[in-house]
Amino acid sequence: MNRRLKNKRYIAISCLAGITALALTACGGGLTEDNVMTFEKENESVVTLFSPMEKTKPDVDNVARSASEKTVIMAEEKLGVTVDYITYTAEDYKDKTYDDIALDRARNDMDDLYLLNPDVIQTLAGEGKLMDLSGLDSAKNLRDVVKAANVVDGKLVAIPQEVVAYGLFVNKDMFDRYHLDLPETPEDFLECCRVFKENGIETPVGANRWWLETFVLAQAYADLYNGGNTEEEIAALNSGEKKYSDYMRPGFEFLQEMIDHGYIDAQKAYVSEAIDGEGADFLAQKTPIVMAYWSAANSETAYGNPDFNMLVIGFPSSRGQMPVMPMTGIAVGANAAHAEDAMRTLDIMVSDEALQVYAKTNKVISPSRNVSVDCIPALKPLNDRINENVFVLGSNAGMKLEQWGNTCIIVRMLLNGATVDECMAEFDRLQEDILMDSK
Amino acid sequence: MKRGRNKSKKDGGVSLLLSIIVVFGILGAVVFSVARKISTEMSASAIQNLSESLDLIECTIEAVLGKEAEFQRLMAQEIAIWTDPEEYVRTFQKSQTMVKISLIRTGETRGISNTNELFSEEGLDFSAGGTVDGLPVSKSYTNYMGTWAYTMKCPVEKEGEEIASLYIEYVYDSLDRALPNGFYNNRAMLYIMDAESERMVLKPKGMGERSAGHLNLEDFFRANDILDEGLREEVAASVRNGKNIMFNHDIRGRNSLIYMWSVNEGTIYLIGYVPIEAIQQEGNTVNQNILIVVAVMLVAFFLCCVLYYFNQRQQNKIRKEREQEREIHNRQLAEALQAAQIASNSKTTFLSNMSHDIRTPMNAVIGFTTLLSRDAENPEKVREYTKKIMASGQHLLSLINDILDVSKIESGKVVLSVEEFTLNDLVSSVDAIIRPMAGARKQKFHVDVTGIKHEYLLGDETRINQILINLLSNSVKYTQEGGNIWFRLIGMKQRSPQFEHIRIEVQDDGYGMTPEYLNIIFDAFTRAENSTTNKVQGTGLGMAITKNIVELMGGTIDVSSEVNKGTLFRVELELRIPEGQTNRRFWRENGISRILAVDNDEVICENIHLLMIDTGVEADTVSSVDKAMRILQENNVADKTYQLLLIDWNVADAEGIQKVKELRDMVPENMLVLLLADYDTGLDESILTGNTKVLTKPFFVSAFQEKIQEIRAEQNRGNTDAVTVANSLEGMHFLAAEDNEINAEILREILEIEGAGCEIVENGQLAVERFRDASEKEFDAILMDVQMPVMNGYNATRAIRALERKDAAEIPIIAMTANAFAEDEKEALDAGMNVHLAKPIDVELLKKVINQYVTRKD
Repeated sequence: MNRRLKNKRYIAISCLAGITALALTACGGGLTEDNVMTFEKENESVVTLFSPMEKTKPDVDNVARSASEKTVIMAEEKLGVTVDYITYTAEDYKDKTYDDIALDRARNDMDDLYLLNPDVIQTLAGEGKLMDLSGLDSAKNLRDVVKAANVVDGKLVAIPQEVVAYGLFVNKDMFDRYHLDLPETPEDFLECCRVFKENGIETPVGANRWWLETFVLAQAYADLYNGGNTEEEIAALNSGEKKYSDYMRPGFEFLQEMIDHGYIDAQKAYVSEAIDGEGADFLAQKTPIVMAYWSAANSETAYGNPDFNMLVIGFPSSRGQMPVMPMTGIAVGANAAHAEDAMRTLDIMVSDEALQVYAKTNKVISPSRNVSVDCIPALKPLNDRINENVFVLGSNAGMKLEQWGNTCIIVRMLLNGATVDECMAEFDRLQEDILMDSK
Repeated sequence: MKRGRNKSKKDGGVSLLLSIIVVFGILGAVVFSVARKISTEMSASAIQNLSESLDLIECTIEAVLGKEAEFQRLMAQEIAIWTDPEEYVRTFQKSQTMVKISLIRTGETRGISNTNELFSEEGLDFSAGGTVDGLPVSKSYTNYMGTWAYTMKCPVEKEGEEIASLYIEYVYDSLDRALPNGFYNNRAMLYIMDAESERMVLKPKGMGERSAGHLNLEDFFRANDILDEGLREEVAASVRNGKNIMFNHDIRGRNSLIYMWSVNEGTIYLIGYVPIEAIQQEGNTVNQNILIVVAVMLVAFFLCCVLYYFNQRQQNKIRKEREQEREIHNRQLAEALQAAQIASNSKTTFLSNMSHDIRTPMNAVIGFTTLLSRDAENPEKVREYTKKIMASGQHLLSLINDILDVSKIESGKVVLSVEEFTLNDLVSSVDAIIRPMAGARKQKFHVDVTGIKHEYLLGDETRINQILINLLSNSVKYTQEGGNIWFRLIGMKQRSPQFEHIRIEVQDDGYGMTPEYLNIIFDAFTRAENSTTNKVQGTGLGMAITKNIVELMGGTIDVSSEVNKGTLFRVELELRIPEGQTNRRFWRENGISRILAVDNDEVICENIHLLMIDTGVEADTVSSVDKAMRILQENNVADKTYQLLLIDWNVADAEGIQKVKELRDMVPENMLVLLLADYDTGLDESILTGNTKVLTKPFFVSAFQEKIQEIRAEQNRGNTDAVTVANSLEGMHFLAAEDNEINAEILREILEIEGAGCEIVENGQLAVERFRDASEKEFDAILMDVQMPVMNGYNATRAIRALERKDAAEIPIIAMTANAFAEDEKEALDAGMNVHLAKPIDVELLKKVINQYVTRKD
């Protein structure tokens, strides 16, 4: 018995001694015999990425940015590169826009990777400032419509991480309250706005200086993209046989009518940034209708968590509700300082694996034909139309007159007081300039 | 006392616990205060480090700006030398720092740039009055490259006269190269803010998180939840005055330090935050290490406590075990002492009893011997005296036998001699002994046998007999005259088909026993009434012997008794049933296949039925003579005829002897009629004629069989009785080896009385020699003592058997020895002796044995 006790005591003492020794060893570590310490200079591969960043809200994560960052981290881990973010946000309408800065930076070879809007893609591609990405492995997985929208002069100049679809975000509860069906045509839409207005809704449609163009584009090209004669009609536009203004006029007139009836506050819209201007009223259920892109329905920084039944539908057109899909994308600068690393980084960022992560995080339509993700219920009406192949492209590299940026600018002219005719004249002027250039 | 000790122990424990708590409290307070002090000092040091780091960055940026201003002045001086300053400007290539230079001649509003564009001051805002080394610096703006830039304006003087202004546009990106790559392991956040526009114009590489509010100061406040208006105003005022500020604020749940560091007299600001835990990393590590050390010490201390506790518990356990052991030993010692005292008392009592019991018959022997010598001439007296001497001698012998039995049992030397026996013999022998004893005391002795299925069994008959005699003789002894003794043999339900389970009950309605005595009845040396004047005599060993024998046989014995009501002993034994015991052939040979039993006792009927099953004889039982008559009349058919009629004498008692006679007369003359009676004497002789005989109860097949054999033998002999040869020793001559002269004399006298001669030698050697020298058939047998000097009986027997004489192997050698144990008998037989007789010599037994082994010469 005593011996057992003694053994226990010895074991306990040994344990204590062991713990002490370990502790002392741990404390005494870190000293080397050599007193001279040398430091290797880090020689890391750096890739700069120029991308937008909206105004920040405290303690709210931007889902879209998180999704993008996940793909960046994936590339960093796989390639051992560091991606530096360069960012710009306009403080107000007086500031240079993100697109302006993007153009300046790309033209001066400031960065390696750029996240660009469709008009900027088309402009920079036209100037030869973007790298041809068609050789990337991940390019082979892209949907045809995505490729078509990003090919300029036979070069694939940008690859998106999501297919951006714009639609009308409507407060279904308010529509139900006034026994209104969701609008299919411009007439329906005007009728809805009339009822809202009569019922004391001061501005039935919330707008900003960026996205009213989607209204116009939907009505302008609903027939062109869904009439079965798309290529011929675009060819006719490019050759000058047809005028862009003829397509655009009904949309502008419709917009003008909306403004005239006070359904849209043109002055406010002219100086409002996206979501900043109209978002608060929409979420407060003062405005039943706004327009925004797909991810805004998933993002807490936009309309991800409304207190009402929200639905996202297409824009009213002669062919019913019409989604508008401009193609944003990531491009590589033609003279990028780290072109090779940038290409490899982009290849990872738009690979199926990365796009799967992106689509799952952001719940968006993926540009890869191999990736599909279920959308949230609010987006179902919009998604159904896209699945039916009913949509209007907001940008098309095949059209010589850039659509997304130019339409945006001309809509701003309308907001700023120009007449529809003046706006159409601007389209005609731009078309003529292009025709002259091509000659 | 014990409670008091417990209380003091409890108090001691509480104070020890309180002391430990106090010590630990003090230790905890010291550790806490040391940790806090370290933390505070480290925090101050960390803030100092942060402030120095920011100072360093500030100085670096100011140095860069200073160098830019200095270089711009040099360029202005250079331009002043040129005859065509515009040419100088046009030929300038932009660098990473200076991306655009422009020149406006004095007095003009437009000039040129190195980009070949027209240049005017429009779009540049110098109104804030910021300068770098005396040169005016513009408000920050986004330049043609899409990046944040500022322009410094420097006069170009020639011969003391300002001839133009040199504008150089610098990009903030160039500052990035001069700044450290990373700040507090990338956990600190840092922007460069233009104080005039409050725009964030540069986020140096490796300067922390993205969600910091990158746009302007307002965005920074909003992003980091700095909403306190007072704080914001204070910050704004400090920014306006170019002061450095640092304050604590929670950013995303982490306590952080926000800093705004003025650069170049407040034209630009370093703005950002760092989590406190990031700058106090060393402090945290130190505190963690202190905590680890304290934790290790605590663990070690608790281990020691646990070890000490277990040690104490072990010691207490051992001490308690020892105390318990000591108590057990003491108790055992006390018990042993008590037992020894009791044993001593018992033995003293026993010796006292023995003294009395031995002296009494001895007194009789000596007394009657004295009387014998006086009245030797009076044969009547001599016979009377010798009879009494014989009785006293027998009593003495039984005393000695009992003592020897006890000693043998206690020393474990008893060996059971298992042989086949019949319950019939057992009951008969017991009956033969007890019935006269009971008769002498005018007691009624009842024998009942019920439920026995097998009467042939394997066991030590002698010992079972001893048990029964002990119990029954006790009953006889302790029952008053005229009382009843019941002896029951009951067949119980068999636990195994190979064993007969028997219960023996001996009951009386005698004096009974007290409960106290019942507790010690089976102890040796005890007697019911401890008085030397008691009428009942005995060694007090009988019950102890009985119990030991019963247990030796694997049985149980128990007793119940009540004073003046009687006693019941119950012995349960399981005895093996021998294989192939039934003798069906006997019954077939005697032509008995069916018997009729007339008995008004159902138990006996059942008994007969049970016992006859194995014989193959069909036994019908009826309860009255009338029924028997009716059955006999109905079954008067050849194949259903009964060959034997069994009538219980009780039926005759109940229904009248005449009826029994009528029944007997009904059966053919050659048919056997047996009367089942308690005893075979005293019955009405008129009925015992011809084929009617008596079979004594209880009914046993073996007795039944023997009786039939006996009757058949009688019939075979006819009326002529065989001449019985008396067990006589007449004319025989023996050689006897006996070293004890008295024994030799007794032997000689006995043999002479029986008409036999005897030659006595003193030891085995002499016996061998005498036999060797004797002529053939000189001796009829050799009577051999065992314990003798020179050569003992065994060796002498071996020597005799080894002699080369024709009769050496044949001559009967009879052991006559006081070595009366079974082992002694075995050794005697092994040595070559024919039979073993224990001393004292039983003359009748001796005669019987000699006649059995000796072939008469005639």
